Amino acid sequence: MIKIDSLTKYYKKNARGILDVSLEIKKGEIFGFIGPNGAGKSTTVRTLLNFIFPTSGSAKIMDLDIINDSVEIRKHIGYIPSEVNFYGDMTVEEFLHYSGSFFEVDYKEKMFALSSRLELDLSRKIEDLSFGNKKKVAIVQALLHSPEILILDEPTSGLDPLMQNTFFTIIEEEKKQGTTIFFSSHILSEVQRICDRVGIIKEGKLIKVESIEDIMNARAKKVRFKAKKDFIFEDDEIVALKRENSHISFVYTGTTEKLLELLSGNGVSDLTIIEPSLEEIFMHFYEKEGK
Amino acid sequence: MKTYIITEFKRNFKSLVLWTVIVAGLAGLMLLLFPAFEDAFSQLEDLLSIYPPEFLEIFGMGEGGLDMSNIYGWFGVEGYLFVTLIGGSYAAILGSSILSKEEEDKTIEFLLAQPISRTNILFGKIIVVAINLLLMNLVVSIILLFVFSIYGELNVTIWLLYSFAPFLLQAVFASISLLASIFVTKSRRVISMSMGLVIGMYVVDIISKLTESAEFLKYVTPYEYINAVTIVKDEMIKPLYLLLTVSIVTVALLATWRLYLKKDITV
Repeated sequence: MIKIDSLTKYYKKNARGILDVSLEIKKGEIFGFIGPNGAGKSTTVRTLLNFIFPTSGSAKIMDLDIINDSVEIRKHIGYIPSEVNFYGDMTVEEFLHYSGSFFEVDYKEKMFALSSRLELDLSRKIEDLSFGNKKKVAIVQALLHSPEILILDEPTSGLDPLMQNTFFTIIEEEKKQGTTIFFSSHILSEVQRICDRVGIIKEGKLIKVESIEDIMNARAKKVRFKAKKDFIFEDDEIVALKRENSHISFVYTGTTEKLLELLSGNGVSDLTIIEPSLEEIFMHFYEKEGK
Repeated sequence: MKTYIITEFKRNFKSLVLWTVIVAGLAGLMLLLFPAFEDAFSQLEDLLSIYPPEFLEIFGMGEGGLDMSNIYGWFGVEGYLFVTLIGGSYAAILGSSILSKEEEDKTIEFLLAQPISRTNILFGKIIVVAINLLLMNLVVSIILLFVFSIYGELNVTIWLLYSFAPFLLQAVFASISLLASIFVTKSRRVISMSMGLVIGMYVVDIISKLTESAEFLKYVTPYEYINAVTIVKDEMIKPLYLLLTVSIVTVALLATWRLYLKKDITV
């Protein structure tokens, strides 16, 4: 459905773009695209939508070229931008009708249904909406024409947990109808919740593409505790080791049993074992790549 | 596409009304003063004779210039400037902002994600600019029709030229401003540049009239292209100037189009 081939984008002024990104997304798949801010997620999305032109490489969506067939492609795409900027002087309803007018399908039923599910007030002006409500408008405008592909760039930012839940339910329904979804995010937990596969991008390079299952299996724990200073670790499963004052922390990728073995008898106190942050997961992948 | 153009038109309607009121109002106001000066014209001629001829030349009242005791001459000296200078300013502001505002407000990201080509995005905006400018000139032309019919004998050619020649000048300013807005997307900056052009060209126009050695400059400035003296005396716009206008607008729009098709739009 989406085929990206050695896509590279350099910006002028040396701003980081993306480098040699290759990727294939199957029909009906939810593909998570994760990485920290500035890693190249939005650059990839904007290149796919032809807001910007690739320096080299190419990509196809539904077998159509992202540059030459851009208009045709966009008939089948719904896009939620990370930062919502719509026409402030329009009411929500005016704007959604305007958005629907670009498509040759009957969008009204879906538009009203989605708006009421998301509890969107159609009569308000867009400029008066909160960040979260603007995001809801973005969700409705992306879905109202029932696109075959959804490109979502940080879609949940600004939504309260209840609305996030509604949003994920909507996305899961779309998937059931065979919609292919490209889901860009820096929040691992939401990617884990709905995605089939994930690609990890850092500093413009796609460093890993894994199924969620594999990520779950390889899922690391962050371990932090107080210990004697001469405590020495020698274990292949330890990454991102840090010492801060009297505390030691690291990410452990082995089994829990082995971890407990390692820690016992070493005067460990004040122990916490938590989910690592995305950055720490990256470290895990990075160090593995290095080996 | 239809909804897009209508939406664009609505979005720019308020400023169209405002600018039209200013331009048509000032032109109308100057025309209403004509009867008062018509009677006093013999004194006015004496009064004017004390000014240096160069001064009169600027206002089209020099040798072979306009006769102010006639409504057409009066408008050429006293009202036409508002339509060209202020109407030109509106054209420059509209041309500068119609595209750059989308990038500045980041709304272009929405538009580019819809199934509409960049060519059509641009085409729709150019259509709206053209319609707005024509509407403004149409309102002025209605006022002119009334006033010319009341205070003189209606000369249809001069009336039409006075009504729509400013559109040519406005089209030049709007298309150059549009081209500039491809490079400079901060609308405040591109508007100041375009206003500089509108006023700068007016200054060039004055210099070309005052200084014989700088006469060649008249080919550069659109104010000369639609000179009131030519309109009233020759009842025409010189073919060379018409050709220049069409060429400038065509080249500016084509360049805008080529550049916009290839532009990286990051918001």
